[in-house]
Amino acid sequence: MCLALILIPFFSIIILNLPPREVNKRIAFGLVLILTLGQMFLVFFPGCNFWKMNSGVFGSMLKIDLLVDNLTLIMLFCIGLIVLVTLFTSRQFIGPIEKQRNFINLLLVVLIGMNGTVLARDIFSLYVFLEITAVASFILISFDKELLGLEGAFKYLLLSAIATILMLSSIALLLILTGSTGFSEVQAVLKTLNPNNPLLILAVGLFLAALFIKSGLIPFHGWLPDAYSSAPASVSVLLAGIVTKVAGVYALIRIMVSVLGFSPASQAVLLLIGAVSIVLGALLSLTQSDFKRMLAYSSISQVGYIILGLGSGTALGIVGAVFHIFNHCVFKSLLFINSAAIEKQTGIRDMDKLSGLAQKMPVTGLSSLLASLSAAGIPPLAGFWSKLIIIIALWSAGYYTYAVIGILAGILTLAYFLSLQRRVFFGKLTREFINVKEASFSLVFPMVLLSVIIIGVGVFTPVLLDKFILGLGNILGG
Amino acid sequence: MNYNSIVLGIIFIPVIGSLVLPVIGRASSRLRNILSFIFIFSSFLLSLKLVPLVLSGRTILILKPFALGLNFTLYADSLAVFMACVSSLISAIIVTYSFGYISHYENQNEYYSMVTLFLGAMMGIVFSANLILLYIFWEITAITSWRLIGFFRDKPYVLKADKAFLVTVFGALVMLTGFLMIYQQAGSFDLAVIQGKFRIGGISNLAVLLILVGIFSKSATLPFHTWLPDAGVAPSPVTALLHAAVLVKIGVYVFARIFIVNITPDILWNTIVPLIAGLSAIISAGAALRETDLKRLIAFSTISQIGFIFFGLAIGNEFAVLGSLLYILMHGIAKAGLFLCAGIIEQNTKTKDITKLGGLIQTMPFTAIAFLFCSFSVMGIPPFGGFFSKYMVFSGALATGKLWIVLIFLIGAFMTIIYLFRVFNLVFLGQQNISAKETSPIMVASVTLLGILSLAGGILISYPYQFAQIAASQMLKGL
Repeated sequence: MCLALILIPFFSIIILNLPPREVNKRIAFGLVLILTLGQMFLVFFPGCNFWKMNSGVFGSMLKIDLLVDNLTLIMLFCIGLIVLVTLFTSRQFIGPIEKQRNFINLLLVVLIGMNGTVLARDIFSLYVFLEITAVASFILISFDKELLGLEGAFKYLLLSAIATILMLSSIALLLILTGSTGFSEVQAVLKTLNPNNPLLILAVGLFLAALFIKSGLIPFHGWLPDAYSSAPASVSVLLAGIVTKVAGVYALIRIMVSVLGFSPASQAVLLLIGAVSIVLGALLSLTQSDFKRMLAYSSISQVGYIILGLGSGTALGIVGAVFHIFNHCVFKSLLFINSAAIEKQTGIRDMDKLSGLAQKMPVTGLSSLLASLSAAGIPPLAGFWSKLIIIIALWSAGYYTYAVIGILAGILTLAYFLSLQRRVFFGKLTREFINVKEASFSLVFPMVLLSVIIIGVGVFTPVLLDKFILGLGNILGG
Repeated sequence: MNYNSIVLGIIFIPVIGSLVLPVIGRASSRLRNILSFIFIFSSFLLSLKLVPLVLSGRTILILKPFALGLNFTLYADSLAVFMACVSSLISAIIVTYSFGYISHYENQNEYYSMVTLFLGAMMGIVFSANLILLYIFWEITAITSWRLIGFFRDKPYVLKADKAFLVTVFGALVMLTGFLMIYQQAGSFDLAVIQGKFRIGGISNLAVLLILVGIFSKSATLPFHTWLPDAGVAPSPVTALLHAAVLVKIGVYVFARIFIVNITPDILWNTIVPLIAGLSAIISAGAALRETDLKRLIAFSTISQIGFIFFGLAIGNEFAVLGSLLYILMHGIAKAGLFLCAGIIEQNTKTKDITKLGGLIQTMPFTAIAFLFCSFSVMGIPPFGGFFSKYMVFSGALATGKLWIVLIFLIGAFMTIIYLFRVFNLVFLGQQNISAKETSPIMVASVTLLGILSLAGGILISYPYQFAQIAASQMLKGL
């Protein structure tokens, strides 16, 4: 049944483009709205028939195996949420009706790609859906056909192409070694292999490198700041909020947990790359003056935390990592919406030229404050808990050094977010901005929605832990 | 009304109230001000209601267990209730003063909301019996003090607010590492479990050190003290709140809560902590002697006096601990008074430079007298409240026989007398350079009240003494 999450968007695209093509913009908007809301709603009923494995006629025709577990469910929720939010922000930024339809078409393609990625149960389908997502993202980044956007898209394209080659080679190697591409089949055979088999080591290395590029981790991060900062505002929200999290981070977690399994060497690589990304990403953020570039480097740093949690190799660490993906989706897309609102209302993205805007844009100011503090791991906001769980996991797994790096890097995170707040919101209002108004409803609504999630999840995490969050650990097999 | 809901009320009336205030402020600023006072004062009244209970030796425990040891645990004993009474009383007076002081500035909604939240979070810290819960409230106070220090929004001010935020959060993160070490050894964040494990000692010195970094950074003790004088850019009621009622007392309180009641650290720390406190007391007193900015001067004085409180707590016999508890009360009242006087002077003369002031006693008699009374209390002159607390800390210390540390603090106490007389002399006596009047009656009334309380605290010492004595003996028994 859950194949519907891929098929319905697919047929929606066809219907929206049937002649006569002047389909009302409202219909397209409403369609995506319903799709995303439905997706988020269904996640809360993990027992219902919708999620049963039998994928019916279509499934056997398409030869796609689907997988539903807690990790998949929470990712589907994130995808639904961020696509919904992107849809709202796009109303402000995408101009004529013709372009809006194109945008919604592409948004649906990304939705298909991401849903497929998180539902895929074999390496090759995973790869195909990753490519679908990536290709749609290239077009979205260059959507405005401006020079910077094209440049950003081109960089992303180049590095993604390299990732593709690496990933395909790795899949080929795994196919040689195991004779299969299904997650469970590959995992079963890999367990019987000698861990020092050079082909296996090569395959693991190639796969990890490919996903590090896709996640934008240091030192594979070259494309990320350009892509994030040059994309149109609503695309940045989508890209930073969810696309790279699914295409890179989710895939990494899935491959590590369900296919390759942890080995001391791969854990060491994950921990090292995670820690380097946290610290360097934060330091690089400190030096930025462009609002969106700062957020892009901050993303690198935050993804580092997720990888650090994964690298601990324990169930609790993975719980923390997935929980942090969720939190990161929420606060990072909120921050990108804030930057979109600021850019829309003032036309400026250089933070040094802004000042005291919280007074004129209270919702933007307050929500950016909540998102910043959540990202910096300040309680009682949501980000605190996921970082705490990651740190506790590292600590109890004996990785004291990495735990301490994770804790103390919090101060760097706080430093750059304070600098953001000081420059943009928390200062004297200058004469220049005396007539600035709060952004319109289609930006304010997602800001309020995401802020409520940040506070709500933050305050009620201890209650949610038993019911939802700790259940995520089950994906580590038994 | 049962006792559990009283404890919850003390914390959550101001916390939840603070979220309502900005909304109300849009409709009526008057109602907002009054409500802010009511929220804070109800914390005080509810704390008072707990006094008879804890004096009879009973305690209240609220425990709601959650996964991973992230329990919601509140615990009210005599130490907690004593601290809650002191903080909420002083905060209530400071808020009253704000009605006059803040009335002509922007961002008042945020101001009242943050002040109320600040007090609520302080109450949360006071009653927390779970280290993570404590950490959460600890960081909420960091957020609120950041917003309040940056109240005037000028760039240099906001930079100093950021500095305070970063220093205290750095300390808190280091402290969190210490908490994790304890968690690993004790298997819980709950203080009751930790007490069972570490009351007899055996805690690693590294964990103690890490937690002390957090405590010292919050209490602005050497070497993490520099943010506190810088925080003087905040509005005066805020500095009073930071220095006297809430922020710096958090560190002191948590020290008492963790290292006296629940964990017995290595004997080594009985020397190290007084030594750090002594250095902090003398060096900042020296800085106060040379400072010419009125608010920075009083800030250095706070750093110095906090050293005395740590001294008494670290000595750890009943008399010294009792002295320290009284010190928290007396210093809170007197220091709030000094800052609020400074606020009146600053608003009416438009300067904080004490060398430019003089002779203000002629035109500002109430402020001058209140300042003098509060100064006497801080100096420790009988019969003012500060005398008794200082006396008890010293006599407790003498009983342990560590004469050289007592000497350091004696020097510190002398320096206190000198720099406070110097300020009084420069600001209130001599030739009047800038003439100014006392304009806001509510502000003058607040400082007068604090001046009177400084004196009354000494004359009626037996009431707080009894309370503090019971608290001290319970603390040392580990109840």
